[in-house]
Amino acid sequence: MEIEIQITCEPIAETISPPPPSGVTGAWLEFRGVVRGEENGQSISALEYEAYPEMAGREIRRLLTEISARHPCMAAKVIHRVGVIPVGETAIYTGVASPHRGEAIALLAEFMDRLKQDVPIWKRGERSAELPFGVNQKVINAPNRNSALRSLDEAMAEIISRCQPLPAGRTPLGESFGRILRETVCAPEDLPPFDRSTRDGCAILTNDESESFQIVDTIHAADWKPRRLKPGEAVRVATGALLPCEYLRVVMQENVERTGDQIRIVRRETTANISFRGEDLRAGEPLLHAGARLDAGALALLATAGNANPLVSPRLRVVHFTTGDEIIPPDRTPKPGQIRDSNSILIRGLLQNFPCDLEQAHLPEDFERARSEISNLKFQISNADVLLVSGGASVGEKDFTHALLKALGFEIVFNQINLRPGRPLIFGVDGPRVAFGLPGNPLSHFVCFHFVVATALARLTGGEPPNFFCGQLAEKLEDQPCPRETLWPAKWEISPDATVRLHPLAWANSSNVACLASANALVRVPANTGPLAPFAGVDFLPVAAMLGAT
Amino acid sequence: MRVMFFAQLKDVTGCDSVELAPALPLNVELLWAELLKQFPKLAAHRASVRLARNWEYAVPDAQFFNTDEVALIPPVSGG
Repeated sequence: MEIEIQITCEPIAETISPPPPSGVTGAWLEFRGVVRGEENGQSISALEYEAYPEMAGREIRRLLTEISARHPCMAAKVIHRVGVIPVGETAIYTGVASPHRGEAIALLAEFMDRLKQDVPIWKRGERSAELPFGVNQKVINAPNRNSALRSLDEAMAEIISRCQPLPAGRTPLGESFGRILRETVCAPEDLPPFDRSTRDGCAILTNDESESFQIVDTIHAADWKPRRLKPGEAVRVATGALLPCEYLRVVMQENVERTGDQIRIVRRETTANISFRGEDLRAGEPLLHAGARLDAGALALLATAGNANPLVSPRLRVVHFTTGDEIIPPDRTPKPGQIRDSNSILIRGLLQNFPCDLEQAHLPEDFERARSEISNLKFQISNADVLLVSGGASVGEKDFTHALLKALGFEIVFNQINLRPGRPLIFGVDGPRVAFGLPGNPLSHFVCFHFVVATALARLTGGEPPNFFCGQLAEKLEDQPCPRETLWPAKWEISPDATVRLHPLAWANSSNVACLASANALVRVPANTGPLAPFAGVDFLPVAAMLGAT
Repeated sequence: MRVMFFAQLKDVTGCDSVELAPALPLNVELLWAELLKQFPKLAAHRASVRLARNWEYAVPDAQFFNTDEVALIPPVSGG
C-alpha cells in the first residue's frame, strides 16, 4: 500500500487530491476530524495539539500497514495538524483508496480507533471561547470555572481549601474513640518512671562477684522499698517490681539455687533484666501528634500518660436525605420500576469510621413537597455540619438537589467532576457547613464517599485526608480509554513476594452493587488510559472494608 | 541517552528532555529508577506512561542504550 503521512503546523487544505487513478481503484474515502466548539463541557475557541512527530509518523505507518493486511487497500494519506487549531478547522485528514468501499471503510474505522490509542499526539489545552484569540494569549490547561468539569485533583484541592477544621473540645477518653486528636500530647514523666525488674529473680549490685548472697528483702510489683544494697546482699524481686536503688542487675530465679535465706548464682547472665527509667519515653517527648486518629492503642497510651480528657474533634452532625420516588424500604417488595433503598444503610455503614450523629430521612423528588417535608422534620438541618443528599443529582434531575441545597443556604462550588463513576457530584458550602449531592447509584456513592466525602470529613475533623498507595495489578484491567478519570473497584491482596496486588472487579456501570461487597480498594485509572496490563503499577486507595476483608 | 517528555509530563518535569549517561544499558526498571531519582513526581504517572525507544514503543524486556532516544508517552489523545 502506498502511504503518505504529514504532521504539520499548517492548516489542512479544503480539498486534497486522491492518489493517481489506477485501474483497480473503486473507492476513495475521505475523513476529516474537526475541532468541536466544546471540550470537557466547556465552550472553547481552539484546541492545541502536540506531537512527537518522528514517532507519530512511524506509528501511523505501522498501523496502516498492519490494518491493511486485514483490509487490503491501495493507498492512504494521513495529515495531522498540530499547534493551535481553531474550532471548525480540520485536525486530522485521512484518505483511503481501495478496490471496493468495504475495505476502505473498515480500514479507516479501525485506523482512527487505533490512532487514538497509539499515535503519540496529544490535545494539550483548550482556549476558552470568551478569551480573545491570539498567539500571545496561550491558555493551556486553563483553570475550570464553576460550570466546567473539574478533574479529581482540582475537586479535591477545592474541597480541602473550602473545609476548615471544626472547633475541638475536651472529651473523656471513653467517648474519644475514632476522634481526631487536636493537640500534640507529650509524656508527662519518664516511662517507666523507675527502674523495674523484667524478671522474677534476685537483684544484686551490678559488679558484685560474691559466691553467695544473703536475701535481705522481698519486693512485689506494687511495693516501694528503697534501700542501698551491700556486696553479698540480694533482694528477691517480682516481674515489674520497682528496684530498691540504682546500679543493680536481676538474676533470673531459674539461675539461682536457694537454701533458706542464702542464694548461690548457678549461671551469670549478660543482661541486667531491668527496664530502666525513661527507657520507653522521656518526659516531654511527644506521645501522639495532633491529627492522630484515636484508636484503641492510642487511647491506651493517653490513659498511660494520664491524659483523661484529650482535646479532640467534635462528633460530626450528619444529615442524610435519600430522594427518588422509585425508592422503597429494603423490607418491601418492589413493584415494576421501584428499587429498594440500599444507600441509607450504605451511608450509615460508611460513616461508622467517623464518630458522628446521623439523622436520615427520605424526601419526595418534588421541590415544594421536599421543602415542606424538611420544615416538618424532627431534627434541625441548620445544626448539621454535613448534609448528604443521595440521588437527584444526575443530568435532568440535577436541578432538584442543586435547587434544594441552594434553598437551604448552600453556595454550590461545583456540580460535576470528571470522575467515573460519580460525575454528577455536587459540592456546596455554607460557612463551616458542607453539603454533597451524591449520584444515586450505590457504586457512585461508594466511590464518591471513600475519596471525596471522606476528604471533607477528614478536613472538618482535622485528620489526614485519604491517601493513595502504590500497587500492581494482579490481572488485566479491561477498559476502553475513557475521557474521565476512573476509581475502579478492586480487591487487594498481599502477593507471595510481599507486594500489594490488585484484582480489578467487574462492573459495567455505576448501578452495579455486586462488586461493592468484595471491593476493598479503588484503583486510580487516569483519563484516556484504556486497558492496563497485568503487573502494571497503579495507585490505589484502600477502603474501609480493608480491615475486615481477607 | 536523551529522554523526552511530552504533554502533561513536561509540566511534571518542568522540561522537555533530559540527558542520561548510564555506564551500562538500562532495563525498564533501572531506567525508571533513574528517572524517578531526578523527577520523583513522575511516579504518579508511571502506571499510565508507555516507554518508547528510537521512535517505537519499547517491549517490556527492552534494554536502553546510551545512544538511544527514549520517550515517555503519556496517554495519547490525537485525532
